[in-house]
Amino acid sequence: MSRCALASTTPPYGEKLLSSSLVTGLGLPNDILVSDHTTSTRAGTEALLACVEHLAANPDGHALVAVADAPIASLLDPLEHGLGAGAAAFVLSTNGSIASIEGHASHVIEHFGERFRGPEEDRLHDLGIRKFSEESYLSATAGAAGTLLSQLRRKPGDFVHAVLQQPDARLPGIASAKIGLSNHQLVAGLVSAYLGDLGAASTLVGLAAVLDVAKRNDTVLAISYGSGAGSDAIALRVAGDRRPSVSVRAEAARKDYLDYLQYAKLRRALR
Amino acid sequence: MAHVSVPMYWRSVPQRYRLIANKCRTCGYVMFPPKAVCPSCGERAAFDEIGLSGRGTVYSFATIAAGSAPPEFADQERASGPYPIAVVELVEGPRITGQLTDVDSKDVRIGMSVRAELRRIYEEEGVVRYGFKFILAEG
Repeated sequence: MSRCALASTTPPYGEKLLSSSLVTGLGLPNDILVSDHTTSTRAGTEALLACVEHLAANPDGHALVAVADAPIASLLDPLEHGLGAGAAAFVLSTNGSIASIEGHASHVIEHFGERFRGPEEDRLHDLGIRKFSEESYLSATAGAAGTLLSQLRRKPGDFVHAVLQQPDARLPGIASAKIGLSNHQLVAGLVSAYLGDLGAASTLVGLAAVLDVAKRNDTVLAISYGSGAGSDAIALRVAGDRRPSVSVRAEAARKDYLDYLQYAKLRRALR
Repeated sequence: MAHVSVPMYWRSVPQRYRLIANKCRTCGYVMFPPKAVCPSCGERAAFDEIGLSGRGTVYSFATIAAGSAPPEFADQERASGPYPIAVVELVEGPRITGQLTDVDSKDVRIGMSVRAELRRIYEEEGVVRYGFKFILAEG
């Protein structure tokens, strides 16, 4: 392993290397190049693409991408009820056994007022200008997807599966219609329906759920989004059928229900 | 347990993150945490570093209830209620203490198969202390 990238919008420290805990916990070599990706829900794909670039320059290496997030807002904020928590990890090499990355493209625009935190704040908020915020999501995701499709000379309908950043259950549907994707392409990766908004982990947990069920030669389009605002679109082709020993669906089904009082205590909102 | 200073905690990071133990070359005894002298045969120098599997069985257990948690675990107890702790006999031999997690206290039994996972344990002096907790092993 020669590269490790860790992504989260909710790191335990404002300043301190985060990936060092992961590297030490896994017993990876100390001479590994690490990077922490944070401040945007796009951080997950940002970490993935940093590793893709590393492997382009170091074809013999292996790279570990991990994303873990648990976005937090005030219990009084309308943003809060949809928030979830999740994590995913991928190992990349130039001879991939699960899927290969066929191309990627990005889109960045200046935007604000949607999902942000000041330097001293630990709770998310937005200014509640909904249409204005949605416009940012729609133009960034469609921008990245459009560039990638023309790069690869493909149509939206050519992909068997598509995964979009899922800040809620509604926006991916609107964006996919704009891009030219249809709902049946989204089904396998729509993890927000049972896991909520996973922040930086949203797109990559969705991608993991797709790879759990995808068949050999299936094509997958994954599009992240982070407020501020930017999107990465990644095209993959599945290399072989597999029977995953751990699946997103099975992990999500292993659950305990909490009542709201227990939840408020766990969030340290009640003492 | 009381205050563990940051330098003291830092020195034990290999044990806490990856269960690094010492194995005596003379008699094969496994020491966790690593010791300077083998308690079994008195060997003082010939040790190998090994990583423990984290797998084992519950040797004994107790429930830490309201008010009885050590100060560093008081916040956890307030937030999520009473929690079980156990002495776990690892497959390599050592018996070690840790929290059992993702399990209800009343479902814990002596002899249950468990395995260690790296978890956030508590926070002191603004430093997150990671270490192992035990979860039920599948099968």
